[in-house]
Amino acid sequence: MAVCIAVIAKENYPLYIRSVPTENELKFHYTVHTSLDVVDEKISAMGKALVDQRELYLGLLYPTEDYKVYGYVTNSKVKFVMVVDSSNTALRDNEIRSMFRKLHNSYTDIMCNPFYNPGDRIHSRAFDTMVNSMMMQVC
Amino acid sequence: MSRQGGRGTESKKMYWYLPFISPSASLQLMNSELFTLTYGALVTQLCKDYENDDDVNKQLDKMGYNIGVRLIEDFLARSNVGRCHDFRETADVIAKIAFKMYLGITPSITNWSPGGDEFSLILENNPLVDFVELPDNHSTLIYSNLLCGVLRGALEMVQMAVDVKFVQDTLKGDSVTEIRMKFIRRIEDNLPAGEE
Repeated sequence: MAVCIAVIAKENYPLYIRSVPTENELKFHYTVHTSLDVVDEKISAMGKALVDQRELYLGLLYPTEDYKVYGYVTNSKVKFVMVVDSSNTALRDNEIRSMFRKLHNSYTDIMCNPFYNPGDRIHSRAFDTMVNSMMMQVC
Repeated sequence: MSRQGGRGTESKKMYWYLPFISPSASLQLMNSELFTLTYGALVTQLCKDYENDDDVNKQLDKMGYNIGVRLIEDFLARSNVGRCHDFRETADVIAKIAFKMYLGITPSITNWSPGGDEFSLILENNPLVDFVELPDNHSTLIYSNLLCGVLRGALEMVQMAVDVKFVQDTLKGDSVTEIRMKFIRRIEDNLPAGEE
């Protein structure tokens, strides 16, 4: 389903990034990095409206030739970025939305783990398996 | 002027009630997430304060013991259970009343030893460990060791010396959490010499 999933801290450094092993990892790092500018742009452009509606989903950030990049930002300004294969046209907006929600819930659980210090990189088996399941789903 | 005086006397008449909290008051519910996070904060702080996990385990047990010796009074006052005739009855009271009352769960009792002095409490879900994932460098930490201390302390106050330890833990990859309790001996009340 997704080919790369990243969690970015408030200060724009990566907390977690994972991509399908078959592809060039660096390429996705680059894609995610580029998308952060679009995220910032979106937040500042419709920031007020987003806060009012409590809408966290940012929608499609930008499409490239092979991939589509979607974004989601929590109220604490933690960003989730998901890269999806463009050839997968069956993927609806709703599904992307629910995937982000799942990701958000999982992230919340990690934050509640007393052994996790906020701001550290995420090393969690539960999160790994959740992300894996999202990347495997419809491959 | 007179008005002001009137107001003055009125304000003097006001008094506040402090709510009277009796130990037998109905159970006050606490948000379980707050409880879980509080316990988590306690354990991680201990992990920061002590170098190795064994010391943390010991400290948790000690804290649990101190809670247990106090908690038993509260428990007896609230639950109206009488003296237990044998260890099986004690096990039932612990699992069905005490755990239900304080943690909201009912562990099952299994694996009785033939002599009837040793049994296991199986906790299907342990409210202390929601969210928790043990990091690799804390592999010997017994996260919920406080419970052992509580059980040991409480039973000691009712003249039972027991040995309590975790044998399975969901945090370590087991499917359930198992607490093993072993009866050691009755603690005899030391009656003053010459009295019967």
